[in-house]
Amino acid sequence: MSKGDRAKSAREKIKAQQAADRVRERRRKAVTYATVSVVAVAAVGLGAWYAASTSQAEQVGGSLPPTTVNPDGSVTMAQSGVTKPVIDIFEDFQCPACKQMEEVSGSTFRNLAAEGKAKVVYHPITIFSTDPTKSNSLRAGAAARCLTDGRQWVGFHDLLYKNQPSETAEGFTTDQMVAWAKQAGATGAGIDTCITGQKNVQAQLDYSAKVMKEQKLSGTPTVKLNGTALDNKVVFAPKDLRDAVTKAAK
Amino acid sequence: MVVASKQSLNARTAVPWVTTVARLVLGGVLIAAGWLKIGNPSDSVVAVKAYQLLPDSLATTVGYGLPILEIVVGVLLVVGLLTRVAGVVGGLLMFAFVFGIAWAWAHGLRIDCGCFGGGGQLGAGVQPSYLLDILRDFGLVVLGAWIVRFPPGHFALDSALGLAGGERVHDEQEGIG
Repeated sequence: MSKGDRAKSAREKIKAQQAADRVRERRRKAVTYATVSVVAVAAVGLGAWYAASTSQAEQVGGSLPPTTVNPDGSVTMAQSGVTKPVIDIFEDFQCPACKQMEEVSGSTFRNLAAEGKAKVVYHPITIFSTDPTKSNSLRAGAAARCLTDGRQWVGFHDLLYKNQPSETAEGFTTDQMVAWAKQAGATGAGIDTCITGQKNVQAQLDYSAKVMKEQKLSGTPTVKLNGTALDNKVVFAPKDLRDAVTKAAK
Repeated sequence: MVVASKQSLNARTAVPWVTTVARLVLGGVLIAAGWLKIGNPSDSVVAVKAYQLLPDSLATTVGYGLPILEIVVGVLLVVGLLTRVAGVVGGLLMFAFVFGIAWAWAHGLRIDCGCFGGGGQLGAGVQPSYLLDILRDFGLVVLGAWIVRFPPGHFALDSALGLAGGERVHDEQEGIG
């Protein structure tokens, strides 16, 4: 082997060595990259799953607790003899966050009342001050006042939220609401004319103004437990909500 | 000639610093945005639905996933890990926000409905600050693009872990200098 050949083979050995190093380095990089990616994706997935699980609504258990529509338009839902703790729910049929609250925690309110663990009082008010949200909310609030049977009121309340219009469009038309009232079982003679005639608009306005002033509401939904506003974090987490109420009962 | 090369050298040493600053700003904004929302997932679901861009079921999923996604991407950017990928995701998120706000603006939506204690709704005379929001988020899109173009900048875990790819040579030179 000549001197030149030896040098060449040494060069090739070094080259091969370097190539092997590069492959190893590439593999190490790929493993690190994959590990970090998997951890990051898992963290996002876990976080999203946890967020969804805290917002998991309860199943509605048993039958609807005794419900009465009060003369002022508020609605009380409680087993007879249950007077506390009191849960006051201030909501607007047109408010998207209220719809979300009903979807997430509506069943918990109902269950707590059914289990005799709380007296639940709904206060449907109108907080919007510009159209189309204001008139949508007023029409719906006035229509709800036409239903005097507790069970039918609850059905109508649920249908309103289910069919809540966009905040930029006119909705809750009287024709729609007449149909929903029928669907909720309100077939009495005066219901149709009461809803289409919108005779409760002033009552809804007065009640809203009175409640907002007395309760010092800054927005809807507001949920008060024995007169103290609950943090929305609690209101929108059924488990925490249930804990807060059972703790207040002790 | 000498002056020109000096300038280009200055520019070359400045680039990684700009990337670092971009990472900190975009990452910080993402972490803050995610942190504000993560305590109340329903809040974020309502916010996503308010844009009326996605069907309700998808909006719900996005609402639950968005805050944690923002935080994770923000942290990756701040520490400089998977910098390029995090830059792409962060930039795309900001771009989606620009699109969403422009959409809301074009459709006359009043996104700041403030149903959560903000007084119920925007007052009659108050306009949502759409233009400002768009400009701010667009600036963040640009930062994201910069990060994707010039990763990973100084103080990046990518460099420490040897994930920085072509930038490694650059770093070694710096080490000597």
